Amino acid sequence: MIKSITRTLGLSALALGTAAGALRAEDTVKVGVLHSLSGTMAISETSLRDVLLFTFDEINAKGGVLGKKIEPVVVDGASNWPLFAEKAKQLLEQDKVAVTFGCWTSVSRKSVLPVYEKNNGLLFYPVQYEGEEESQNVFYTAEAVNQQATPAVDYLLEQGYKKFYLLGTDYVYPQTTNLVLLEYLLSKGVPLENIGGGYRKDDSGKIISAGKYTPFGHTDYQQIVAEIKQFAAGGGAAVVSTLNGDTNVPFFKEYAASGLSAETCPVVSFSISEDEFRGLPADQLVGQLGCWTYFQSIKSPANKKFVKDFESWLKKSDVPGIVKEGRVTCSPMVLSYNGVYLWKAAVEKAGTFDVDAVREALKSGISFDGPGGTVTTQPNMHLTKNVFIGETKADGQFKILKEFKDVYGEPWLKGKFK
Amino acid sequence: MKLFHALILFLAVCGLARAESTPREVIAKAAAAEDASERMTLIQSLLGRGDADVPVLMDAWRRDQIFLYADAAGTVVPVTLTGEADENDAQSAVRVDNAQPLTGADGKPVRVVADDWDTAEHDARLRRAMKAVVDLIDVGSPDLATRIKAINTVGYSQDAEKLPALIARAEIETDPKAQVALREGIALTRLKSSDRAERLAALGELRELHTLSSTDFLRNALRDAEQAGDKEVAAAAAKAMSAVESHRKTVNFFGTIFRGVSLGSILLVVALGLAITFGLMGVINMAHGEMIAVGAYATYIVQNLFTTGLAISPFGMSIKLPGMGAEGWLRESYFLFALPISFLAAAFVGILLERGIVRFLYRRPLESLLATWGVSLILQQLFRLIFGANNVQVGSPSYLSGNWTINDIIFGWNRVFVIGFAGLIVFGTWLVLTRTPLGLLMRAVMQNRQMAACMGVRTQRVNMMTFAFGSGLAGLAGAFLSQIGNVGPSLGQNYIVDCFMTVVVGGVGNIAGTVFSALGIGLVDQSIQQILLNPVIGKILVLLAIILFLQWRPAGLFATRSRSLD
Repeated sequence: MIKSITRTLGLSALALGTAAGALRAEDTVKVGVLHSLSGTMAISETSLRDVLLFTFDEINAKGGVLGKKIEPVVVDGASNWPLFAEKAKQLLEQDKVAVTFGCWTSVSRKSVLPVYEKNNGLLFYPVQYEGEEESQNVFYTAEAVNQQATPAVDYLLEQGYKKFYLLGTDYVYPQTTNLVLLEYLLSKGVPLENIGGGYRKDDSGKIISAGKYTPFGHTDYQQIVAEIKQFAAGGGAAVVSTLNGDTNVPFFKEYAASGLSAETCPVVSFSISEDEFRGLPADQLVGQLGCWTYFQSIKSPANKKFVKDFESWLKKSDVPGIVKEGRVTCSPMVLSYNGVYLWKAAVEKAGTFDVDAVREALKSGISFDGPGGTVTTQPNMHLTKNVFIGETKADGQFKILKEFKDVYGEPWLKGKFK
Repeated sequence: MKLFHALILFLAVCGLARAESTPREVIAKAAAAEDASERMTLIQSLLGRGDADVPVLMDAWRRDQIFLYADAAGTVVPVTLTGEADENDAQSAVRVDNAQPLTGADGKPVRVVADDWDTAEHDARLRRAMKAVVDLIDVGSPDLATRIKAINTVGYSQDAEKLPALIARAEIETDPKAQVALREGIALTRLKSSDRAERLAALGELRELHTLSSTDFLRNALRDAEQAGDKEVAAAAAKAMSAVESHRKTVNFFGTIFRGVSLGSILLVVALGLAITFGLMGVINMAHGEMIAVGAYATYIVQNLFTTGLAISPFGMSIKLPGMGAEGWLRESYFLFALPISFLAAAFVGILLERGIVRFLYRRPLESLLATWGVSLILQQLFRLIFGANNVQVGSPSYLSGNWTINDIIFGWNRVFVIGFAGLIVFGTWLVLTRTPLGLLMRAVMQNRQMAACMGVRTQRVNMMTFAFGSGLAGLAGAFLSQIGNVGPSLGQNYIVDCFMTVVVGGVGNIAGTVFSALGIGLVDQSIQQILLNPVIGKILVLLAIILFLQWRPAGLFATRSRSLD
């Protein structure tokens, strides 16, 4: 008797389990999160994972996408580019995710690109990049060069600066951006002699590299700062910096020690957002410029709500190892957030999770009112958005100086400015 | 139509401003103005006039400290706020237009709450206009640095209208530096003159001054003269340019030497500890970099104890250390306290490492390599757990973040400090090794451990002290590195290669060799950077040169012949 009861119980438990499993499979949609949670890039990319999980919770609380709850599949790229490709393959072939949000460095994106193209997946890429790419399997919510670098230069020109020193870390994003900037500056009538940092020509006399480059982790900026000081001696000079990560610390310390300041020669940096500020000596950067499509200091109700909701989500979050203190929001985070909502809107418009249908919906021009203002998808898989120029303050936030409304994202810029 | 409107407005405000208003009144009017172009014309009307109040008020404006108070009748009165805020957050207000306290209809002072009122608006163009006004006032500023900066700004603008202000100042200027700046400014402005003789004279003057800042202006003058076909002016411009270029060469030459010595000093500071643990003791200490990081984090802790306190959360615990909230010189002096503390902290970790692991491996150098490498990974992870994966901020005290500029060569104080600091610790190390009983024992043990033990030396203890001393020196290096670079978990990794390189090139077991190799590598590195202007290739060439050098002299600069190393 007892035996039969246990058997019945066991069976019914089994049946319940299967039913629950079936229910879960039907009512959720798997979404991939592909960021480095360990290694050098973890400092930056973990913030994007956090904001993605926050966004999924926010959407799930309101009923999910097409009535299905989002089930995140978080994998760690570990700052290891070949591993990114493997993890992407796992997401697409094993987990069969509907969409992936991920990648920070251009090299990680380039590494997963063939995987997404082969499996016809969809990747949302959120971080400023160099352009010269337009895959049908990647949606670039990222800032293209004309949504960050050229508006910043426009602003400097408008402010009366005549000389520009190009400085960057030696990899694909700074190299390409500076080449585009060189062409852009020349097209604006800035003579080559007023563009500092040097340039290299190939045999045919075509300029193939512009600006000064330092390796990752470079610590000695004495010579470069001395050169900038001579370059800026006659006034009207500014530095356009694509220096990456923590090399900014020795650079700015040397910069301040040599007597250069935001007043005598401002530095506009494309890789320092509020999140990076957490590891930089903010008081030495006061007055220097930044250019992004979002700043935490934007005074709109949508942004205030976003910042507040994210903070209260962090407080409640039980994600292991999540940092709860001193968190800020920044442009790549908001572009990740926007990406999720744009995908949701595209899925709802297409009425299906099918990648081809979602892509067509994305290309048709979907708008979303994000924390940085309205963003609209473009047929070339990029995003129209507002661009802001900000001045850094001692508390690590930006004071917004200028806003460019609805800038169209244009990935193909090399050779465009004549 | 719009233009016409603006013109009328312009004339009207100019008339008003010029006729009767004091600078204060003009600023008050501008602050209250609704229209951006009206504000602009009002501010521009102040060019060339104004008093000591003007910079103060304009600074307040730029810092959003001018508030637009509206009285009961709705008239907007721009005010600045002073004094302590009372319990309602209200402060006493001073009218911008006449510097009198703000009074109500009853004649009593009105107190104003800052948050209740809008601040006077400003945009980038207006700030530039304000700057131009302030610049001309500053040409007569009693503060030398402000004055020179203002003279430069005026000179570089090459604006003939401002020439009289510079000439008037030049007649009464006594400071030699400001005199040079004035002569340069006057000459630069005259380069744009329509009078050819004046241009030639200006070029002669610039040639004599050969300032680096005149390069661009001379280049433009040369081009203009060539286009106009004026050979004499072109030749004068070319001469002036070559004078500047030869000056630039001198500056770069001595600048490179200074930068080389300073880079060499940094290498020396970071490698000296290793010269002892690896060079003298023969322990391949891969955790040397983390000893540097211990010193840097100790500096960070000391800094925070002096200021706002420190909250860290190691292993899920939350520890809050209160800060002293020090201000002024006491706050700045934290670094001097941080130096000995970072030495002791790293020395303490060194003792733990020696007692716990290294002492079992004196006869097995390759295994000590693996073991200390493991320790280095563990320590890095510990830093992450305690202080977080992000870099921490260590501020530079003001006495380490300025510079002397002598004849256009920049001598950064932090760089001068590291050179002196390196000299001191080399001297100190030499004293310890040669003039103290401990040093004698150290040398004895390092030369022949067994024989020293036979003579009754407690070699275990001496090993421990030597290792602690070497680690402590690494800690000192960390305290210094916090002033020029990042403090983060991977700090040590960035320097460990440089450390081994310096010690090996110098000759293992020889401290003098480390000194020479550090300075040599520093000078070669900076010279290559200066010549190639490319840090990436420069770094590769230095490493290549070191490989070739070691092929030629495998034992380094100064080979030590000692039995202990055989």
